[in-house]
Amino acid sequence: MNEKIKIMIVDDEKIVRDSLFFWFENAGYFVDTAASGHEALKKLETDPFDIMFVDIKMPGMDGIELLETIKSTYPDTLVIIITAYGSIESAIKAMKTGASDYLLKPFKPNYLSLVMEKILQQRKLTSEYNYLKDRLEKISRFDNIIGQSPPMMDIFKIIPEIAASDASVLLTGETGTGKELVAKAIHAKSNRAHHPFIAINCGSIPDTLLESELFGHRKGAFTDATHTRKGFLEVVSGGTLFLDEIGEISSKMQIDLLRVLEEKQITRIGNSEPIQVDFRLISATRKNLEEAIRSDGFREDFYYRINVIHLNIPPLRDRKEDIPLLIQHFLKKYSQETAKRVDHVSENTLQRLKAYPWPGNVRELENAIERAVVLARSRTLGMGDFAFLSIPSARKTQPTLKQMEQDYILEVLNICAWNITRAAKSLGINRVTLHKKIDRYDLRARKK
Amino acid sequence: MNADRHRVGVTSFGSIPDITAKVVAAHISGFLNLEAICLAPMKKPVFALDKQRLQYDAGALLQYMEKKMAASADKVIGILDGDLFLPFFTHVIGQARQGGRVGIISLFRLREKEGPTTRPSAVELERTAKVALHELCHLYGLTHCDSQKCLMHFSGSVADLDELPINFCRYCRQYFRDSIK
Repeated sequence: MNEKIKIMIVDDEKIVRDSLFFWFENAGYFVDTAASGHEALKKLETDPFDIMFVDIKMPGMDGIELLETIKSTYPDTLVIIITAYGSIESAIKAMKTGASDYLLKPFKPNYLSLVMEKILQQRKLTSEYNYLKDRLEKISRFDNIIGQSPPMMDIFKIIPEIAASDASVLLTGETGTGKELVAKAIHAKSNRAHHPFIAINCGSIPDTLLESELFGHRKGAFTDATHTRKGFLEVVSGGTLFLDEIGEISSKMQIDLLRVLEEKQITRIGNSEPIQVDFRLISATRKNLEEAIRSDGFREDFYYRINVIHLNIPPLRDRKEDIPLLIQHFLKKYSQETAKRVDHVSENTLQRLKAYPWPGNVRELENAIERAVVLARSRTLGMGDFAFLSIPSARKTQPTLKQMEQDYILEVLNICAWNITRAAKSLGINRVTLHKKIDRYDLRARKK
Repeated sequence: MNADRHRVGVTSFGSIPDITAKVVAAHISGFLNLEAICLAPMKKPVFALDKQRLQYDAGALLQYMEKKMAASADKVIGILDGDLFLPFFTHVIGQARQGGRVGIISLFRLREKEGPTTRPSAVELERTAKVALHELCHLYGLTHCDSQKCLMHFSGSVADLDELPINFCRYCRQYFRDSIK
């Protein structure tokens, strides 16, 4: 039997809706119907459909308008236009607009069956293509580091160069910017990729425990040392050690690590026998270490030892153009994880999210999207889904009449998927006036 | 299986040889193990004739049968001499709604020679029985089957229908058994 393909029939004639409904139901598909374009869009808001059969002639929103909206908002949904003999030009227009096929009424039953076979084959190829594209993206990008902004492009460019050397790296940047991901990417691109990558957060481990974790200990070296244990500096052998929050370690630990970096050997606690170690050190901090040298007594010699190559990861507020891309990535990730199809953020919400300062950076954005997806009631996330973020009002002062008009026109255009005829009708002005206003305010459609 | 609960009526519209309804009833009994009875023939359904298309509206006929005949048996299969249509299809050979109580089949495109006949050929009777069994199984909730060796496989033409055996795949057979429990 057919996998549960979801089909919607959109036709203002009940007899056609019912007949096609029963035909598809007999064929084993999940079927729903809508009597108008608006009803269809409303259903699409909450429920994704794979294939839609849309009658071209309907009162209100016609089939072409509905097709345009579906293609701009839900490009994965395939649309088949149903038209009568004599309106072949409309069918051609529909094909140019993105319809997958068209049916001229009345058609033979086996023709509908053939169209379905063709569409399902097309759908299968598309999903295979998407799967392979996804795989390719995963291979070509640096794990989950996502960005298209100039600073991120610079980072992508420099990672392979850093990976090629074996020098110590210091990553700086605010919390949540993705320092560990960059460290992993450097490791993955380096000759050490087949050896371990060990990450330790120095800020979360007490100094005495950190020493034992890094250097290991001999049985009986201290009260709780019930057995001999290798330290991470030994375990990481051949690989990369990532020390996050390096600015938090004590002066003694700085001296110990400095010695290890210079001599490439360690001694376990309670032992005197030196052990050769081979690892690359990548450190990270959100502190200004140069200032820490001056004020907190951070060791200058240790700083220069760990800071052979310095890479600063910019905060999210300095690369706002990455926000839509990151949102799309996290929507996809959490839609898959939660098995909920939430694949859009409304234009207005996107603008507000871009304006938000994101003090917790990418991590905060990811958490916000995860929470919004889990609680979402529709496929498109709106401002209500991000109420927990306490996004400040877009304007502190009262907007001008001109600003309000501009915002309202943009909102209506987005709701109508930039269908000028519909938007003009909704605004109660003619198309020419709307075009003039679009030019005057330099309004642009959101890029897909 | 409770025979009282699963009685299928077979009726014909207009002047169709009795043998056709009898063959259909016999196939229903033989292949599906249901009680099948021949009901009194009905008048030609002129109310369902579309004068422009010169075809009978399958939807209107099913509605009529629901009102008039559903009480005479658990499920009813009607046999019509004329050509059937749905608004968007050029024609249909048979029509039944999944889980419904009435189904209709047309002999028009199942004939070997054009025009009504007093003595249908063996091929025509076999085609009629196949369509009747297919539509009746829709009434019992079965959907189209991917197997080309199953009577529930969709056949878009008479040539396709002739290729199908009078048999069900094991999945459809099981589904049918479950649906009459």
